[in-house]
Amino acid sequence: MGPIELLHMSVFSQSFSPCGRFLAAGNNYGEIAVFSLSAALSPDATDASQKPVLTFTAHEGPVFSLLSTDTHLLSAGNGEISAWSWAELGKKNTKAVWTKRPDYKTSLEIPEINAMIINTRDNSLVVGGGDNNIHIMDMETGTFKSVLQGHTDYIHCLSLREREGEILSGAEDGAVRMWDWRTGHSVHCVEVYKYEECARPQYGKWISCVATDSDWMLCGGGPALSLWHLRSMSPTSIFSLSGCQREAVFHQDLIFAVGEGPYVSHCLLGGSVKAQIPCTPPSLNTLALNLGTTEHRVMTVAGSSNQIDVFTNFSYRAFSLSF
Amino acid sequence: MAPAVFNLIEARDKFTAATRNALETRTSKPLMSVFNHFPGNETEKKSTLDQSLRGVLEEQILKHADVEDHLSLISISISGVTEGICSASTPFLLLGDVLDCLPLDQCDRIFSFVEENVSTWKSSSFYSAGKNYLLRMCNDLLRRLSKSQNTVFCGRIQLFLARLFPLSEKSGLNLQSQFNLENITVFNKNEQESTLGQQSSEVKEDGMEEGEMGDEDTPAPCSIPIDYNLYRKFWMLQDYFRNPVQCYDKFSWITFVKYSDETLAVFKSFKLDDTQASRRKREEMHTAGGEHVYFAKFLTSEKLMDLQLSDSNFRRHILLQYLILFQYLKGQVKFKSSNCVLNDDQTSWMEETTKLVYQLLKETPPDGEKFAAMVEHILNTEENWNAWKNEGCPSFVKERTTETKPQRPSRKRAAPEDFLGKGPERKLLMGNDELTRLWNLNPDNMEACKSDSREFMPSLEEFFEEAIEQADPANMVEDQYKVVRNSNYGWRALRLLSRRSPHFFQPTNQQFKSLEDYLENMVIKLAKELPKDLPSEEIKTGEEEDENGDNLLKESNDSPSIQSKLVTNSQMDEIAKKLGAQWKTLAPHLDVKEAEIREIEADSDDVELQAKMMLVSWQDREDAQATMESLVTALNAAGFASISQGFSET
Repeated sequence: MGPIELLHMSVFSQSFSPCGRFLAAGNNYGEIAVFSLSAALSPDATDASQKPVLTFTAHEGPVFSLLSTDTHLLSAGNGEISAWSWAELGKKNTKAVWTKRPDYKTSLEIPEINAMIINTRDNSLVVGGGDNNIHIMDMETGTFKSVLQGHTDYIHCLSLREREGEILSGAEDGAVRMWDWRTGHSVHCVEVYKYEECARPQYGKWISCVATDSDWMLCGGGPALSLWHLRSMSPTSIFSLSGCQREAVFHQDLIFAVGEGPYVSHCLLGGSVKAQIPCTPPSLNTLALNLGTTEHRVMTVAGSSNQIDVFTNFSYRAFSLSF
Repeated sequence: MAPAVFNLIEARDKFTAATRNALETRTSKPLMSVFNHFPGNETEKKSTLDQSLRGVLEEQILKHADVEDHLSLISISISGVTEGICSASTPFLLLGDVLDCLPLDQCDRIFSFVEENVSTWKSSSFYSAGKNYLLRMCNDLLRRLSKSQNTVFCGRIQLFLARLFPLSEKSGLNLQSQFNLENITVFNKNEQESTLGQQSSEVKEDGMEEGEMGDEDTPAPCSIPIDYNLYRKFWMLQDYFRNPVQCYDKFSWITFVKYSDETLAVFKSFKLDDTQASRRKREEMHTAGGEHVYFAKFLTSEKLMDLQLSDSNFRRHILLQYLILFQYLKGQVKFKSSNCVLNDDQTSWMEETTKLVYQLLKETPPDGEKFAAMVEHILNTEENWNAWKNEGCPSFVKERTTETKPQRPSRKRAAPEDFLGKGPERKLLMGNDELTRLWNLNPDNMEACKSDSREFMPSLEEFFEEAIEQADPANMVEDQYKVVRNSNYGWRALRLLSRRSPHFFQPTNQQFKSLEDYLENMVIKLAKELPKDLPSEEIKTGEEEDENGDNLLKESNDSPSIQSKLVTNSQMDEIAKKLGAQWKTLAPHLDVKEAEIREIEADSDDVELQAKMMLVSWQDREDAQATMESLVTALNAAGFASISQGFSET
């Protein structure tokens, strides 16, 4: 890969392997790189261990979403979902296990897939993207069993409330919709930009990140990042972060958010910004926490750069992995 | 009685018995009496007593006697010294013996006694004899104590030494500014030694802190990943703090800067917040545990790294180390070798980093601002100590200056006369002919100023010559052409008079209407004084006609006319007597007002007195115009011609 490609690289998606020792990252060239965290975090780490152990081209378009199941790595690009076995990847075998396409109404245009989540309750894959609809695929059979229709513009992000059996989706039309996955109906629709305290007309109305934690929801994008109480459907705190936030997660009693600007924002639930931790890429797209295992509990962030910053302690950048 | 041969054995036995006796009664009296009654030479007796005191102490130690007994024996020896029956060093020897032989916890109590008696040790009879003993004793104790375990006791000993010795005592001072190079911070430099990577127990070879963890059979997998990159760089810095001279080496400096930048970037990014330890929790900590926990040495296990980074006290330690290092690098230290100088890049980096460090200190809770201010203050004070050391530790006790002559205040700049005349032929060369000429006119500026050529004030004669001439009526100068009418001339005249003429300050009761009048008067006075050929008579006589009958002139010359004479007191008494009750008739003619008359009436019942008061008030009002002439006129007008007659004739 030439220097120009490196310069213009954006990393859109990341996923940790189920064992927690590997990190997969997808960029705008359709490539997926697999990094060995255990090597990079070991005491005898060298520069070489910050390079990917494996790089392969997964899709023709950018890799917008990556997801790990117990055994597989799922990647989504333009209109298709591919699955790779982690075990095979470990052996440097880069042949896709399967590739699926949701049923799109028209075959003229190939809509991109922006978000995927696994619904463990019925072992299904929830996919949202450019055709404004949410497709649900049964992981057992590999068939698309239902479509959730309601958004009027493309979907950016998805989140799951497992206990309530709800799927949350944020879209370009500025709405956060809550779906009952059993019935396939939209149960709520919050149009965040209509709330004066969240609205930022200069950025637009689109919702680019949604995260949930029991009765609480975080959403942001064009409107300011805000914490919502889902029972009362009202915003409780607004975070005064500049620019649009592209990913936000709950972690213990903190909220980590990334977006425009070269820093990870640590916010308190009360609405104040506790710290902004500097990092390498000038703008960030994705943030991932490796909390699945006891080892290598790190946070990684990536964005408009070929560098993926690793935070061993969430308060400072330890080092960067790079494509 | 012939001087008996001194019997040592007998003396010692006797003294030992007496000492035991004294110990029981806890007074030195029995010892005193035995000592005084025993025959023999003073010196011999003294050394024998010293010997027996030490013997008794030895017995006590062997018996494992109570600490109190040791202390009372020492007290007895102290009073022995003050009574002059044993040598001054004995109490110190006893103390040394006791401390050498007792376990540390008992030493603690003995030392409390030593601390309490600091004033005794400092008294003249003990100080010179005992200071070396005490120093040795303290150093012995310090050597026995663990630097990390007995921090409090060590601190007490240091404090005691500080109290005992004067400030300028050099014995405890690091005069050469040497570093404690043995203070090496051990950490995992080698990857293979890591506890995490290998999880084997071979790490114990160095006996480092992390060896403890190797003992565990199955080390629990650590949930927090360790940033070895930072870990190594962070602890590597300690080596620079241990031996700052390394910073002057080019390559070490580059690594130092690199590591420091990374470490400080982490500190900057990793903000600590006050809310982490809630207020309540902190209060609990204060009440329960008391003071801050102190470690004599950093714990360098990599597993602690993460906790240390979030510990505000730890962070303060590191930041403070930076400031201290920078102070050394910047500062003037006498024993720093001459090639230890920083270049501009280094200095500017250091300045920036110092700012950053202070910034970080301020951000570090709790009370970051206060802490940073305190640190800055302390480091400033340290500068003074540094200067003191550079000057060779001069004593702080100022000698009273014996010379009574007040010293000349020092001048900021060297006076010209200090460096003038240093050139050839005492000539100062200014590098320019004209300047050289000017500078060499007179080497002493004060002398030059005193020279006659600098005298610009004219003499009285010179200045007033014209005015005197014009004042002469014989010259018939019209008033308006007189120089005294010129205000410029008047001003200069006044100034000159103030400098040269005694008349200027003479009190006068004359009232001058204008400067001109006054000047003319003065001119006339001057003319009289000046040794001139001008016949003074002429001036005197001509006045009346030529000076337009000025009152002041009338008064200033001795005109023989009675009328112009002022009314004297006796004359007023006489008139008042004659006027009696009729004084009120005269009042309107003397322009005395109704209100004044009423006042005079109210003041006194005696008519004669009232008349006198009326006249006095008139005289006060008229002042120089209160002449006999005007009074006579008034009397005549009021119809008291009979009274006035007597005066106008005389």
